[in-house]
Order: sequence, then C-alpha cells, then structure tokens
Amino acid sequence: MKTDLSPTIKTALYGLMCVLLIPFVFPTWWMITSSVKPISDIFAFPPDLWPRRFDFTTYGKVFELQPFAQQYWNSAYIAAIVTVGTMAFSSMAGYAFARIKFPGADFLFTIVLLGLLIPSEVTIVPLFQIFLKWGMINTHWPLILVPIFGAPSVFATFVMRQFFIALPGELEEAARVDGLGRFKIFWIIALPLAKPALGAVAIFTFLHSWNLYLEPIVFISSKNMFTLPQALTQFTDAYGGAMWNIQMAAATMTALPVLLVFIVAQKQFVEGLAHTGLKG
Amino acid sequence: MAPVTLRHVKKSYGDAAVIHGVDIDIADGEFVVLVGPSGCGKSTLLRMVAGLETITDGEISIGPRVVNELDPKDRDIAMVFQNYALYPHMTVETNMGFSLEHRGASKAEITERVNWAADILGLVPLLKRYPRQLSGGQRQRVAMGRAIVRNPQVFLFDEPLSNLDAKLRVVMRGEIKSLHQRLGVTTIYVTHDQVEAMTMADKIVVLNAGKVEQIGAPLDLYDRPINQFVAGFIGSPSMNFIGGQITPDGFAAAGITLPLPPGLAPGNAVYGIRPEHFELSPAGVAATVLLVEPMGSETQVTMTLGEHQAIGVFRERVKASPGETIIVRPDPANVHLFDTTTGARIN
Repeated sequence: MKTDLSPTIKTALYGLMCVLLIPFVFPTWWMITSSVKPISDIFAFPPDLWPRRFDFTTYGKVFELQPFAQQYWNSAYIAAIVTVGTMAFSSMAGYAFARIKFPGADFLFTIVLLGLLIPSEVTIVPLFQIFLKWGMINTHWPLILVPIFGAPSVFATFVMRQFFIALPGELEEAARVDGLGRFKIFWIIALPLAKPALGAVAIFTFLHSWNLYLEPIVFISSKNMFTLPQALTQFTDAYGGAMWNIQMAAATMTALPVLLVFIVAQKQFVEGLAHTGLKG
Repeated sequence: MAPVTLRHVKKSYGDAAVIHGVDIDIADGEFVVLVGPSGCGKSTLLRMVAGLETITDGEISIGPRVVNELDPKDRDIAMVFQNYALYPHMTVETNMGFSLEHRGASKAEITERVNWAADILGLVPLLKRYPRQLSGGQRQRVAMGRAIVRNPQVFLFDEPLSNLDAKLRVVMRGEIKSLHQRLGVTTIYVTHDQVEAMTMADKIVVLNAGKVEQIGAPLDLYDRPINQFVAGFIGSPSMNFIGGQITPDGFAAAGITLPLPPGLAPGNAVYGIRPEHFELSPAGVAATVLLVEPMGSETQVTMTLGEHQAIGVFRERVKASPGETIIVRPDPANVHLFDTTTGARIN
C-alpha cells in the first residue's frame, strides 16, 4: 500500500524510528567501540560514543591469550556440520510427514513437536551421562549430535513440513509418470523447490549452533576444544576480572559471521518463513 | 499406440464406493472423452488408468498387458495435468526432456526428441525459458510437449483446458485435436465441458456417480441419448424436459398439448425437446416470452409453455419483448421421451 505522507509526518516517523533503533544498535556499537578503547576509557563517565584513543592491539591479544583461531575453526566447522546435517534430516523428515501417508503419521509428528516443549536445561544432565558413557565428553560430538537430533532440528522439521504440505501434488504425480521413485522425487523435484525454506532453516540452524553456550560449557573442558561463546568468557586477568576491551574485540570477531549471515540472507530468511506460512 | 480396456473396474475409499464397475473398450488410436458432472469419478478413472490410484477390483489393460499392478512409469503412458504440473525450477527444454533423461536416453536422442516436439508445438523460441515466464497457453503447450516427447502408447489428459480463458480454450482444443490426428496416439481425455467432449471425441463416455451412463459417438449421444441424464448433460443449452402424459392427441402437460411421433403407448412420461428443435409456426402452441438473447447467428428465447419454462433457439431474429406471446412448435421427429421413474429412453 502506498500512502502519501506530508514531509512533517515523514520526518516525525523517521525520528521515531531512529529513537526506536537505539536499544538495538547501541549494544553493537558499544561492543565495537569498546574493543578499540583502552580499558580505563570503557568506564569513563559520561561514556564516549566515539573512542578518545584507538587501541587496536586488543585484537592481537585475543589470539595471544587463547587459541582463538582454533576456537574460531571449532565453531565454524561445528556450525557447518550441524547446518548441513539439520538441513538433510529436517528436509527428509518434513517431506515424509507432509507427503507420505503412513499409519500414525500425525501422532508421530505430534510426539516430535512435543520435543520443542522440553527446555534443554532439563535434558542436559541425562545427555551428559549418555555422552560420558559413549566416551564423547570433551569432544565436539555432543555439540554436533544434540542440535541435529534435538530441538533445533524439530523446529526445522516443522518448517520443512509446512513448506512441503503446500507443494502441489500434481508435481509429484507428474514425476511418477516421468519415471521417478520416491527418493528421486524428493531429491530432484521437491528439494530444489524448497530452497526458500531450506535457506531459512540453514540460517537459524547456523546461528543457533554458532551461539550455543550451555552445551559447550557442559561437554567441553579444554581450551583447544572450546567454541567461541565459551571462549568469550575466558578473557580474564589473573584475579578473574574481565578484560573488557579484549573480550569485546573477541566478541566483535565472533559476531561478524552472524552479521554477515543476516545482511546477506535476511531476504531469504523472510521469504522462507513466508512460504511456510509461519510469518504473521 | 495401443488399445485400452477397462473391465468391471471398481474403486472404493474405505466403505465409500466411487467407481461402481466400469467397462470401457478404447480402440487403438481412438480419442475418447470421459465426461460428466463434478464428482462423477471421471478423473479418478483416468488416474486409475495412469496408475496414480489403485484399483479396488477389475482389470485395466493397455495393449496386451494387464497393468493393475504396474507403476505409472511402467505403463508407457503420458499425462497432461489440469495445472500443467511443469517443474518450476527447470526450463521448458529440461521439462520436456525430463522423462527421457530418467529413462536413460542419450543426450543426442533427448535433444532430437525435444526439438521435434517443440517444432510441432511452436515451442522452439521458448525452450530456454522457465514456466513462470510463460503464458497459460504456452504452459499448456509445454505440458503437451512433455507428453508427446516420449512417444507413449497412451495420452491421458485431465481437464487440461479448464484453467484457460474461453478464447484460448477454443484454440487449444483445436491444437490437441490436430495433434491427435497427426500422431494417432490413443487418447483418454477428461472434461466436465460437454462442448469439449462433442468437438474433440471419437467416442464419448458419459459418467454419473461412478457409473457409465452411455458410450457412443458424439452425435449418437446427442441424437439418441439413452436416458434423461445423458439427454440433459449433452447439449448446450440443455434439452428442455416437460413432465406429462402420452395421449392419442399428443403429449398433455399442464396447460398445453405438444405434438408426438406416432405409435406411442399412452402413459406418464417426460417429454424432451432440444432448444433448436422448436420452430416458429402458427400450428404450434402459445408461449410467453421471458427473455430474448440475440446471438447474431441465432436467437435464444426463454419462454413459458403452459406452466413449464423452456428455452428455444431460432435461426430467425425474434423481435418479441418479454411478456409477449409467440407461437412455437416442437418438431415431433426430434422429440425424446423418457420414463418418469427410471429416466430411461422410451421412444
């Protein structure tokens, strides 16, 4: 809908939007500027929106104090595997729930959805015991397996199911007449058409894995195995005090892929959810 | 090309029977139209021939093979769907060559066949486009191209023109018919539009509530419908029906007596007369005009005959206004009489 607003109302609206933007933008701005301030300037009052002095050595110290590159790689490869794994499992499960008629399908799907209602804090102790038994503590396996078979994958399955339900049945029938079996119909016809939904699943799965905090601090104990959210808490001095500027430098580098993903893929994300009927 | 035979074919969903034992013989190269009102089971029957629906009972043969248990891909059929069912993420060329590709045809063969089909259907300039870049008529042609490219034994069309506007529908009707004449492939075509059925079919199968009402050539069905349902379904505008009694003086209905062919036994009946079988004649009965619709080549008049409403189509340009009286006469040679209880034809 296109409406013609007077310049005064337009200006007022933009002003209002700028004010509303402050709570969302300020933390990021504060993180980035604090990462290049000497630690004494961070606590200056009144606070400086623009650094009085720039100190870029904080970024170097991030790599000196911890094996940050290794931790970055850990987060990256775990998030990549979790994203690909979740996309694979959720698309197949979503397709099955949406398109294949089998006894108890709806009941089974309800059971799967119930998994979303259980907070991860409730399952973390039993999971710890299971992974301890399997000898996987202080490995990355729990950080890969729990999201792929846990709540994020359930939500992804729900998103994919909603998409596949809306796929015209005639396309599948045409493919059957053309000589395709069930898996090929899924792989060659349904999956390529599900790109918007898959894109949305990929984005939120990647972000969920990238930001995962509870599971790493439970399952991982050595610094070389840390992921980024866990590593961020470790930039402390000998007395346990936070080294804020170095921590903010690490946080800025940690947030960078997240920002990039959002900037590059926000359209895909919105479209994906719109296609699945989840958008309000 | 192959004949198709349906023997005592039944279909039920749980306790609900939707096809009640259908027998149809379709000769090699014949163009057969399954026609009937919505929900009569015509699409279900077509999908059973395609293998997209299982058969509860009976036997379907394509050529010498009974295909009841065969997958759609193994039946050597090609189907054109109501919504075209083109793969949106593939170009026209890929859509058309898709089935050949998945049946192990060589690239050279696929290219040759796709170009052949595209040439026939005027699709050559569109081969690199995606379905979303095509008009409704172009999509329809691509769907046909996808069907003919494989040279199947049987074409199945499931209401392929129902999404097109009236003008394009007439054009595509002609294209499908000429394609059939050119390729000579056995074709089963489903429609609810009796004009499509009349103009395209070698043979029409009229279905109603999962049963075959009549099978025959279009004009046979038009001229000698076997019952009141077929008489009412085939023809546009529909046949007029008037309930009354056969008497020695003619057909007595409330307020009027209509002419009859000779030699009929007296009794209750339904009198059927097609709109074009009325004539303006002083020897007829008085009719009150309700509506006059000049069509150019003919005039359609809605009128009351005694207490009955009827439609007449006249070659003459009827000048009467609503409320005026005209004298019309049904042609006794074209009168159809039906049993009041069973609806079966009695003359």
